[in-house]
Amino acid sequence: MPRPLWSGSLSFGLLNVPVTLHSATRDRDVHFQLLHAPDCSPIETRRVCATEEKPVPWPEIARGYELDDGSWVLLTDEDLQAAAPRQSRTIDIERFVEVAEIDPVYFDRSYLLVPADEGAARAYALLSETMLDSGKAALGRFVLRAKERLVGIRVRDGALTLTTMLFGDEVRSAAEISAEIEGAKPTREQVQSAVAVIEELSVEFDPTRYRDEHRAHLKRIIKRKQQGKKIAAPVAAAEEPVTSAPDLMGALEESLARIRGETKKPKKAAPRARSHARSR
Amino acid sequence: MPRSLWNGTIAFGMVRVPVKLYSATESKAVRFRERHCTDGAAIEHRRVCVQEGREVPYGETVKGFEVSSGSFVTLSKEEIAAADGPGAHMIEIEHFAGREEIDPVYYDRAYRLGPGKLGDESYLLLHAALKRSDRVGIGRFVFHNKAHLVALRALEDVIALHTMRFADELVPAGDLDMPTPQRKPSKPEVTAARALLDQLSASFQPEEYEDTYRAALLELIERKARGETIAAPEPVQIAPEDDLLGALQASLKRQGRSPRTKTKKSKTNRSSSGKKVVAGSSR
Repeated sequence: MPRPLWSGSLSFGLLNVPVTLHSATRDRDVHFQLLHAPDCSPIETRRVCATEEKPVPWPEIARGYELDDGSWVLLTDEDLQAAAPRQSRTIDIERFVEVAEIDPVYFDRSYLLVPADEGAARAYALLSETMLDSGKAALGRFVLRAKERLVGIRVRDGALTLTTMLFGDEVRSAAEISAEIEGAKPTREQVQSAVAVIEELSVEFDPTRYRDEHRAHLKRIIKRKQQGKKIAAPVAAAEEPVTSAPDLMGALEESLARIRGETKKPKKAAPRARSHARSR
Repeated sequence: MPRSLWNGTIAFGMVRVPVKLYSATESKAVRFRERHCTDGAAIEHRRVCVQEGREVPYGETVKGFEVSSGSFVTLSKEEIAAADGPGAHMIEIEHFAGREEIDPVYYDRAYRLGPGKLGDESYLLLHAALKRSDRVGIGRFVFHNKAHLVALRALEDVIALHTMRFADELVPAGDLDMPTPQRKPSKPEVTAARALLDQLSASFQPEEYEDTYRAALLELIERKARGETIAAPEPVQIAPEDDLLGALQASLKRQGRSPRTKTKKSKTNRSSSGKKVVAGSSR
């Protein structure tokens, strides 16, 4: 099992459950390394002290905070912990709420909590069974990497799953965007047709249905390049010139006709493949 | 008006909605820069060719994918962009689903959409239909040479876009070694735990939560700037004990004494929050 990102305890009332924190997501991206063009030798990023002109080893790197007068305060790891010693060791459950009440705009990264040892497993099981039974999520907070995180914890796949959340003041207001929207409100008839299109395309959310075709496409490009083949430059999609307000009702009717026409055929389901997936 | 991050089109059936993308969030974390601890000087990041040992300007670099140890296939910017395909500026809504069906682990970053050129009417139509149907549109979106699964929904007067993770980007809980308890929780323990959970239940009020650590950190920086020495934090004492029921009952009693206000107070006065009980005998 990989090393935990954090270890501490989850506190529920006076009960402490020692846990370790692991990422719930993994990076599947295709990563590139920066190379020096003439000889393709790898490029390293080196940290260099600006005044001494010499490379600085990692232990000599401090966190600096710039004050208004331009001077710098250097902080150590201990200083950061001293700001809130308890919060850097425990996740205090403050409330329980319905998951549906939390707007997704607050969700950030997800992690899995694992009991630290066999002794902790019983309290962990007690807490997760109780939460599963209630259907609620626990809200708490703790400090991870020098930042306090509001967290929502719930049971998923038998494991307590922690999602870090943004604080209220980290979410921007949408007022500036909505204030700029002009134009006629849609008619009742248009909205009804649009809702009908939505209903026709409604399914239960099944994440396994969607694959990252872009990632697969990029891997194929790398393979072709390795075989010495030429990669055609991307064709810029011919932008349909937008000159006048669109005929919304016509587009909605055509959509419904197409979707309903498609669903009549025996081989339905497959939503139209994305154009670039087809193009290769 | 903030600057848009991306311009494109949503395909909703045959309806085209020109849109602009804006960030919905901004981090308020205290920002640090790297400095050299010995002399406080700035740290510069330099690109150095490992072979020649000298600094290389960005113009002399190229991106390479390591196909086997030490052997690279190089790709130009255009070749990498070729994976975006012609649909790069189009978000096609493939399905609609209920918001409650999407587990929070799928969500990545939050954005907002505004109408693009001549898009106001179709934007308002999609917004009204999302709101009326109470559904979330699911599609795919290429941003910065990476595809994301996205959820589109009506949020107040705008359409919100959430990037989501693909199913294979999640770690199955089964991949982790989960220690299993030797003894199942007893019935009285379950009952007491449920009673405590119910006592702590409330509705979610995002404005109730403030980043208290941010303030504490800024205060500490100020003290350090004045030349004060910062005392090392006292280690948090967690006494090992195995009496789950006792701990729960004591919590219930404590909560019962002063229900709501207690939670708030204990935030500022954590050290005096009484004896903590830990399950098992770890530390």
